[in-house]
Amino acid sequence: MFDLHGYGWMILDGVQVTLLVGLAAMVGAIAVGLAAALAKLFGSRIVRGTVEVYTTIVRGVPELVLLLLVYYGVPTLIQDTAAAMGREIEVTINPFVAGVGTITFIYGAFASEVFRAAYLAVPKGQFEAATALGLNRYLVFRLVVLPQMLRHALPGLGNLWMVLIKATALISVIQLPELMRSADVAARTTRMPFTFFFVACLIYLAITLTSMWLQSRAEAWASRGIERTQA
Amino acid sequence: MAPAGAELPGKVTIGTEGAYPPFNYLDQDGTVKGFEIDLAKAMCERMKVECDFVIQDWDGIIPGLLAKKYDAIIASLYITDERKQKIDFSQKYYQVPARFVVPKSSDIEITAEGLADKVIGTQRATSFERFMRDKFPEVDLRVYATFDEAYLDLVSGRVDAVMGDVVALSEGFLETPDGADFEFRGPNFTGAEWFGYGAGVGVRKGETELLNAFNEAIDAIRADGTYDRISEKWFGFDVYGE
Repeated sequence: MFDLHGYGWMILDGVQVTLLVGLAAMVGAIAVGLAAALAKLFGSRIVRGTVEVYTTIVRGVPELVLLLLVYYGVPTLIQDTAAAMGREIEVTINPFVAGVGTITFIYGAFASEVFRAAYLAVPKGQFEAATALGLNRYLVFRLVVLPQMLRHALPGLGNLWMVLIKATALISVIQLPELMRSADVAARTTRMPFTFFFVACLIYLAITLTSMWLQSRAEAWASRGIERTQA
Repeated sequence: MAPAGAELPGKVTIGTEGAYPPFNYLDQDGTVKGFEIDLAKAMCERMKVECDFVIQDWDGIIPGLLAKKYDAIIASLYITDERKQKIDFSQKYYQVPARFVVPKSSDIEITAEGLADKVIGTQRATSFERFMRDKFPEVDLRVYATFDEAYLDLVSGRVDAVMGDVVALSEGFLETPDGADFEFRGPNFTGAEWFGYGAGVGVRKGETELLNAFNEAIDAIRADGTYDRISEKWFGFDVYGE
């Protein structure tokens, strides 16, 4: 149906890289998001202020700009500062690390809001009952609150994942051989942009549809034992 | 990085564009190939270093060198006075003139009047762009990230002509199936003012060891016939220029 002129393998390799980056960044974003949410909920004024600054910056700066800043700007800044102080050093951030790091940084901020909302959605009675049972704060969180948070966080996190996997396409600008970049190289060399960009679209769609199905399964699992009183 | 006067590093990373056939391009496995890649490998053999290639989009090719993402640029980077202010160049390793490509059916004349208000495409941040802006300022110039994108727009009719170097235009476009209805028109353009002194190896300022090594390697491969062999293989003629 589609004549890919031999570039099919390059596209498949690109899909692998995209999924790898997406998964690595998602794990990172969840970790960062959880930490940031806890900081916002339980932290001191200074800690909360810092995290607020973090989420504001991330929501205010385009991802592409941040990515280029991290990949080109940071090494150059470090090298130039070191050179000005008389020391020659070489700092390289490879595209994979720069990409995963930037996306983790950005989507960690969004994830923190998801977790904060999920935490606030857990009924106060649950905390009181758990404490009445004699559980300490850590166990209350781990055994009672966190599982219920998960139920409320899943829709938000699922949404985050869909946006994140699309954002991986941006890393093509720093020459990471992921799906978008592979499609671009193939399209340019064969001069068949419609074929390759359309195939790339179909692949991203397939990833999203699979993710949606997995998310509905996960939500069903997280909601087991909960009676739904509304649709 | 080693201070001046030290030995060459065992491994030299070379930055290239990978989107400028037949000089440097990516094939279907994503490996970089081309005339310049073969030349670079021959040079590295002479210099007794191991070469690695890194792909960098053209817009960032000099910033990437300055950011130490690679140690040398071998990517049809023309030696111009403007670029010499930021980086150092080896002697040239090829030099070809520039020319316009137009549809066979068009009646455009390659003169200042003939091109005025016509839409011409070329690659951003190249000598060709500077040449067009200086010599043909009346033209509606469209600049692209790569030449392949310019060819795409030429084929679709968004631009009336494309300006680039004769070899890349010929091998990279006119000889391909898409280029069947197109041809060269107008004179060959040369001149150090815009196109510099040919394509050379770019290195960071102060990297004298590396620069000398590249210069010696270029002399060596010119002298022992390796250069001629590679040039014959890719073009059937000698692209060294005058």
